[in-house]
Amino acid sequence: MSAFWKYLAGRFLIFIITVFIAVSVVFFVPRYLPGDPLSAIYAKLGNVGGGATSEALVAEYRQRFGLDKSLIDQYVSFWKELLQGNLGYSIASFPTRVSFILRQAIPWTVGLLTFTTLVSWVLGSLLGAMVGWSDGRSRVLRTLVPIALVLYTTPYYILAILLVFLLAYQWPIFPLSGAYTLGADKGWNLAFAEDVIRHGALPALSIILVSLGWWFLSMRSLIIAEKGQDYILWAEAKGLSRRRIFWTYAFRNALLPQTTGLALSIGHIIGGALITEAIFAYPGLGYVIYTSITRLDFPVIQGAILILIVTVAAANLIIDMLYPFIDPRIRFGGDRQG
Amino acid sequence: MAVASMEQIPEPVALEKRENIVIRLLRNRKFAWGSLIFLAIGLSAVIGGMAVEPAQRRTGAYPQKMAPSTESLALIMGTTTLGQSVSVQWTQAVPNSMKVGLIAASIGTVVGALVGLIGGYFGGKPDAVLRIVVDVFLSVPSLLFLILIASLLRGVGVTEMALIIGAFAWAWPARAVRSQTLSLKERPFVRVAKLSGMGNLEIIIRELLPHMFTWLGANFLNAFIAAILAESALSIIGLGPTRDMTLGIMIYWSLNFGAIIQNMWWWWLTPVVTLMVLFLSLYTIHLGLDEVGNPRLRSQT
Repeated sequence: MSAFWKYLAGRFLIFIITVFIAVSVVFFVPRYLPGDPLSAIYAKLGNVGGGATSEALVAEYRQRFGLDKSLIDQYVSFWKELLQGNLGYSIASFPTRVSFILRQAIPWTVGLLTFTTLVSWVLGSLLGAMVGWSDGRSRVLRTLVPIALVLYTTPYYILAILLVFLLAYQWPIFPLSGAYTLGADKGWNLAFAEDVIRHGALPALSIILVSLGWWFLSMRSLIIAEKGQDYILWAEAKGLSRRRIFWTYAFRNALLPQTTGLALSIGHIIGGALITEAIFAYPGLGYVIYTSITRLDFPVIQGAILILIVTVAAANLIIDMLYPFIDPRIRFGGDRQG
Repeated sequence: MAVASMEQIPEPVALEKRENIVIRLLRNRKFAWGSLIFLAIGLSAVIGGMAVEPAQRRTGAYPQKMAPSTESLALIMGTTTLGQSVSVQWTQAVPNSMKVGLIAASIGTVVGALVGLIGGYFGGKPDAVLRIVVDVFLSVPSLLFLILIASLLRGVGVTEMALIIGAFAWAWPARAVRSQTLSLKERPFVRVAKLSGMGNLEIIIRELLPHMFTWLGANFLNAFIAAILAESALSIIGLGPTRDMTLGIMIYWSLNFGAIIQNMWWWWLTPVVTLMVLFLSLYTIHLGLDEVGNPRLRSQT
């Protein structure tokens, strides 16, 4: 087996183990932690119905959620259902399936995250590389460093709160919350698209600004590190143009750790986006989790978390599979520590 | 993301240079200013908290929705919709948030260093297993697991919160310390130590660990920031220690009562500004530490 395939197999193993552990944690933790996932329902039903009817209802719930079977049976059927894409029922809005609730939320999260991550990563890497390469000779470029530092140290939700205050309350340019005007004609028309963009602008801006600072700083220090390398000196001695050295030598080499950074922070980006969505009441997975927490709707929380974990693991796997195309050392079996 | 910058542990500083590291740290302007601001926030909250009477903490102890006024220290940051003093809440929130950072960062750094040192030094099967566990931990955002666990353990206190966050903070240091241990253990000074009859444990503690102090210190700061971040993120979506007061919980209540649209800026701005200043000060300390521990950086920044 060549080093390339060995590398891919190793990455795939990590993916499988991650998914396996995530599913097991989602399954076992609720069952071993104090507090029955149904105790919330007891309380709720006790308030509404009271007496014998509520007990019958709880028994019905127990059976429907499979809590009366043995743990191993439950675990096996949990996997079976999962593989068929069935995540169970929502407790708060009972006959609704979890998968139905999540399916409505996912496009919003995916759209918001793909757009903001691409924009901030590309923009941050280019700006950071330019500033790192220019040695701080340009005053304009030099002022970008402290700005990026402040942006990077600002948590997503804080920037989100500040933006809501400034651009939705103080100067109401953008709507306070939501992803579209309620009652708007949903469909592929220009008016709705404009509405969606106007609503998405603030959440997107808050995510882009924060991650931009990070990509900028990381690329800047990567380029500075590359600049001191012997091969750059050698390229200079050969008389190559600075532009050529920058693009085909320094930038390309710094791009690999920068891509690793992207892979490693996908989870972090998603985590931050969840909170941002909650603040803007943006109807993606983060907002679904937020509302489910207040309604004690555990199946929905678990389903959403599970989908997110599998997505992050899959995204990591895909990026790992792209590495060999960026870094020939993996393709041809060089050594890679770590 | 804060930890991603620390993928590589800098080359160990030669021993004779490390002896005056405390003096060099204090002489570093970034380190000194960062520490000063951090301590100022912490001390003023602790001292203020000692001056607060229990009655002042009660709901309705003050008029409702009052804008900040200079009448008394309790009113200097205004009051909430429920008639609580924001500055009194602040004196409880800051130490609690710092407590979360301290506990979680200590757990993460100590456990991470142990796992990394032992795994890297001894190798073999336990190391292979640990590596996979670390890879899994790193490939999944800990916030997701934290949301899951916190949502099941409703009503956690500050300490429990810190412990849960700490349980997810060790994977990064473990990986970095491990790879550093792998390269250090092949160096001549470790071989000399082995030949001179030092035990494995002694080599780890006396020969390997000292090389990582600067890095572990920087990691501790990162973990501290990450823990406060995680706590406030969880708090904002309603999973924080709602019976206690932390900076995240302050934001949670202010947003819950619609402080932004009611123009009660003092309520939400107080925890928001405090968090930002805390993060900036910790980050400045980190930069200072980096400059002292990794002299190559000094000329460039």
